[in-house]
Amino acid sequence: MSRRVAVTGIGVIAPTGADTDSFWSSCLRGETRVAGIPAHWRRYAEFASPVWAPLPDIDFGRYGISRIERMQLDKATMLALSASRQALDAAGFVCRVKDEKKGTCSVESLDPQRAGVFMGTGVGGLTSLIAAEANHVFTPLKSSLQQMRQAGAEAGDAAAGPIGDIADGMSDMMIMPPRFNPFIVSMIMPNACSAATGIKYSLHGPNTSYCCACAAGTVALGQAFRAVRAGGIDMALAGGVEYLADDFGGIFRGFDIAKTLVRGELPPERINRPFDTRRSGFLFSEGGAAVLILEALDTALARGAEPIAEIRGYAETFDGHNIMMLDPRATQITRVIREALADASVGGDDIDYVNAHATGTTLNDQVESGVLAELFGDRPLVNATKSLIGHTIGAAGAIEAAVTALSIRDQTTHVCRNLEEPIADLSFVRSVEQRPIRTALTHSFAFGGHNAALVLSAC
Amino acid sequence: MAPDTADIESRIADVIQEVLRVNRDAIKPESRIREDLGADSLDTVTLLMALEDAFKESISDEDAEGLVTVADVVTFVKARAGAQGA
Repeated sequence: MSRRVAVTGIGVIAPTGADTDSFWSSCLRGETRVAGIPAHWRRYAEFASPVWAPLPDIDFGRYGISRIERMQLDKATMLALSASRQALDAAGFVCRVKDEKKGTCSVESLDPQRAGVFMGTGVGGLTSLIAAEANHVFTPLKSSLQQMRQAGAEAGDAAAGPIGDIADGMSDMMIMPPRFNPFIVSMIMPNACSAATGIKYSLHGPNTSYCCACAAGTVALGQAFRAVRAGGIDMALAGGVEYLADDFGGIFRGFDIAKTLVRGELPPERINRPFDTRRSGFLFSEGGAAVLILEALDTALARGAEPIAEIRGYAETFDGHNIMMLDPRATQITRVIREALADASVGGDDIDYVNAHATGTTLNDQVESGVLAELFGDRPLVNATKSLIGHTIGAAGAIEAAVTALSIRDQTTHVCRNLEEPIADLSFVRSVEQRPIRTALTHSFAFGGHNAALVLSAC
Repeated sequence: MAPDTADIESRIADVIQEVLRVNRDAIKPESRIREDLGADSLDTVTLLMALEDAFKESISDEDAEGLVTVADVVTFVKARAGAQGA
């Protein structure tokens, strides 16, 4: 059995928009969102990268996540739930409250046994672990500091004042939540994002999380596509999610110390420049999520859904080269694209548009642009969604697949921001115009060596 | 100024209602949180977190064991808030 697979709903949360419409309209305006990193992070270390892409305020209540649930869920999971709800609503599914206490819903006009959840994430609930660990370690330390201060004061020691001030300063740096969250295990497990989504919407088909760094969202979509195409399920909630802002900037520091992040003297809004000769690394994003509703085309049409695009093909390869660096020979990157095209039964000349991985790191962009030139020449449009929102790691591939689908729907796409001196002779998008975008490619290359590529087309 | 007793009772009922989704009329001083209001073990943990949030007080495991009825919670919170006898 081989069924056609349609995208019928999209939910996005990104630094430039807390919902799909605001995100997409911001994309088409070429907007970015860059700010200085949180000032208090600099109390713990110096950073080479001065900026990040923070998320906007998100009203989680709008997506049916109660105050009580917010106490029990990791932020990445809440992003997944919010994007899922957006996608379900956009696809025309009606969600009814099933159990008010548990906060669960049932999705009407859907066989829950034949609906699955496929989520990608790079670090899962890591920020919740860091917060819980902070409470675990700092609670006794703060108590000891308080005792030290009191002992000094009682002894009347002349040094008691300055020592007390130092103790207060140390205590002030020990940022921690007021409690060690009793739900911490279910918050930090990487599968929480898919599990919580399956629970929230009472879906009983396959439910899997994919942990493959920057390719996670693409892999989750690809695996969901295969499951729907093979006929095992009719519908999948699929995408990627990430949340990377811990209280101390430690996650940021990990990427910064690896020299992967933007740096230099350019103004914040110009510092992030994929495919440009003056690129210096990727813009660290606070996080984001994208969830796509993938449905068997026949069942989607039968319920009156309007397909946004069709997923035509998918492939995965693995570099087997280096855990922090892609293989500059690009053998497996080239192969993943070729295999995705073959899976979709399309040729290189059929590709009208490529949403590139385009991190803005020196090596990635050099290697990727070379592969695109070799496979496609300068025929397809090429853009870099990371030039607008930075790198959302596990969410990136899903957000870029969402952009690809929306570009097919609207027959237009966004510019490559800050691209002034391109490193290759490709058809980079310079202006927002109506374009014939019938078939498109989007791909991701991850730390670890995971490569994944999706081919989408008009339905 | 010590918080008003009726205000504490009302806020506790609000939290119980929000967490357990029970009818407000069912929340009486003598109501047992588990047996009468239907809280399972996860609900109980959640309720303690929500009470901590509402009253900015930490509740130890030892204290929590003594919180069987709604009245127990009221007494506990009032004692912590220094409102007993107010």
